[in-house]
Amino acid sequence: MNRRKALQQAGILTGGAFAIPGLLSLFESCQSEVGISWEPLFFSEPEALLVSTLVDVILPRTDTPGALDVNADRFMDLFYSKALTEEEKNQLRAQIASFDSECKANFGASFVMLSTLEQNKVLERAEASSPKFNGSVWGTAVNRQQDVGFYRQTKSMAIWAYCSSEKIGKEILAYDPIPGEYIGCLPLSEIGKRWTF
Amino acid sequence: MPNYNIDAKKDMTYDAIVIGSGISGGWAAKELCEKGLKTLVLERGRMVEHVKDYPTMNNDPWDLELRGALTSKEKQKHKYVVRSGFIGKDTEHFFANDEENPYTEKKPFLWIRAHQMGGRSLVWGKQTYRWSDLDFEANAKDGYGVDWPIRYNDLAPWYTYVEKFAGISGEALGLPQLPDSHFLPPMELNCVEKHVKSRIEKEFPGRHMIVGRVAHLTQPLNGRGQCQYRNRCSRGCPYGAYFSSNSVTLPAANATGNLTIRPYSIVESIIYDEKKEKAVGVRIVDAETNQSYSFYSKIIFSNASTLSTTQILLNSTSSRFENGFGNDSGELGHNLMDHTYRVGAMGNVDGFENEYYKGRRPNGIYIPRYVNLQGQKQSKDFLRGFGFQGGGGRSDLKAAANLPSFGADFKRALMQPEPWEFFITGFAECLPYHENKVSLNKDVLDKWGTPTLTIDSEFKENEKMANRQIQKDAVEMLEKAGLSNIVGFDNEHEQGNGIHEMGTARMGHDPKTSVLNKFNQVHAAKNVFVSDGACMTSSSCVNPSLTYMAITARAANHAVSELNKQNI
Repeated sequence: MNRRKALQQAGILTGGAFAIPGLLSLFESCQSEVGISWEPLFFSEPEALLVSTLVDVILPRTDTPGALDVNADRFMDLFYSKALTEEEKNQLRAQIASFDSECKANFGASFVMLSTLEQNKVLERAEASSPKFNGSVWGTAVNRQQDVGFYRQTKSMAIWAYCSSEKIGKEILAYDPIPGEYIGCLPLSEIGKRWTF
Repeated sequence: MPNYNIDAKKDMTYDAIVIGSGISGGWAAKELCEKGLKTLVLERGRMVEHVKDYPTMNNDPWDLELRGALTSKEKQKHKYVVRSGFIGKDTEHFFANDEENPYTEKKPFLWIRAHQMGGRSLVWGKQTYRWSDLDFEANAKDGYGVDWPIRYNDLAPWYTYVEKFAGISGEALGLPQLPDSHFLPPMELNCVEKHVKSRIEKEFPGRHMIVGRVAHLTQPLNGRGQCQYRNRCSRGCPYGAYFSSNSVTLPAANATGNLTIRPYSIVESIIYDEKKEKAVGVRIVDAETNQSYSFYSKIIFSNASTLSTTQILLNSTSSRFENGFGNDSGELGHNLMDHTYRVGAMGNVDGFENEYYKGRRPNGIYIPRYVNLQGQKQSKDFLRGFGFQGGGGRSDLKAAANLPSFGADFKRALMQPEPWEFFITGFAECLPYHENKVSLNKDVLDKWGTPTLTIDSEFKENEKMANRQIQKDAVEMLEKAGLSNIVGFDNEHEQGNGIHEMGTARMGHDPKTSVLNKFNQVHAAKNVFVSDGACMTSSSCVNPSLTYMAITARAANHAVSELNKQNI
């Protein structure tokens, strides 16, 4: 897909030249084309672009791989396509649309078209306004869990997709599939990072 | 690897038939086979051989299609068990197909089934504690239910017997309300658990916090390996480190040469012979072919699991037993119990940021019952008691999603473990209420045309009051232990969530008010034994599986002795 087409599909082609740093950084590996380089199973292409951009802002590439380096966005697409019911899928689509509408209302453009500064502002607002996850006991939330909304749910999914990927699990976090023993107390500095789960 | 004899058809007659191959069925099979009885184990599901049939045992998250999550179709297939949260792609094959096995909830009730060789022994929680006379005398003292026909001393030698073979790790405390087992070395508490333990034990004299007593080997036993701290138990353990029928009792039964196990055998009913005044065999439906068969034996052990056993008994009618097998008392199907579940408190523990742990310990902490003990002031609000499970750790990814940041700094934080969390969650005893019951539903049939169960059961005021106390005590203990961000909780789970369903064919002295006698024999047909959770006369607040093992070994040995004396 060429860049023009991607922008058209995202409904954000304005005809003028303007800075789109978010998109440019997202697709820096693919200079001549803009769009997603994979076929989504669940998302429309504009939805995929938005979610890819969002998880890239949440978990960017630094000295360690970013969410997009381990295809967290593709995994989320696969997960949504297979794990959600039709009702849940429709709800998620509506949430994505509503998230983007708010970007347009507040910043005059779709999320993927905003500058890095503006995208950060969107996320700061979402952070402040999104309910949090309750604590959990044996994998299930305690008390009644209210809906954390699109932003925090996406953040949580991105974290899971990232940490459960082979690259992060084996090469970045502390990988120990067969610990062989349990040591109840030892200095964190001896491990230095989170265990792979 | 044992080579099981599954060719039951060539021989329709055995010394003993055992219905079900889970925790209690496995023990019945082992004991009967070792005493020389040709034993047929009827398992309604497929074969699951130790190690060979554990397809996900070595998978990392990325090896599973959705990293362990279920598809929406799989969630529909397991529509009941998904309510528990205890199922993923890694264990999905060890839970029953709920769509093929419907039941009717007159009141909400979660019934979790595992229809394969080994049953729920593959996926159980493995917490193993002895019951005490505080439990066995409870009904007699406060008048709820009927008196247990046994006391701790009847079971004590059998506890020791099964513990030596199953392998139970834990710490001895010498508490009368939670007798010590024959222990392998205990697992270790982590830094934060040790800290909380010392604070709670100092602030609350008489309360104790110990590492869980569990059916996990902490040293090799009988050719089984010790726990490798992977915490992937419910997929089946390649080392045989935790107790399951598949890794422990059924291989022992098979080694005698006396075991035949017939998979895909759904027991429809027990056959009663009016002239002999005893049972002579069972009728089954082959789950694969829908063909019916009858198998015959001198004695029958029903270990299909609490509600499945009662379903079979209710469906076993004759002119002698019009209302279900052995149901002269009218108590068959009644007095269903479970433990209350997911009520307690959690919070953060500060000051241990530089401490971590190694290994994924398949175990937590336990706080034994400390209320309504003998010689103590008794609560005005509720009878009986509760204990707590819990634990501390720093691996909650949802907590990471709560951090108010994103981007490079957030990612750096994500690479580090979360702040320490610690929780305790109570399990309260449920009184035996006659009106908590199951009945046969002939309008809803399962895939094989068998009548299903309607479950009409709930927690009542006593359990709710105990839960209130649990939450109050939990918050208070965590406060006194110095935790921060403390949250008390009560998920108000319906019965069944504890997965400790008990009762519905209780033991008792009197045939007029109970179904089974003190050796688990049906009062009115003494060659039929029930030694799974259906036999329980009260529920204690303590996890029941170890007691099923001990009761079953005792009943099986009594059965052989009675058979040898030609009393049955």
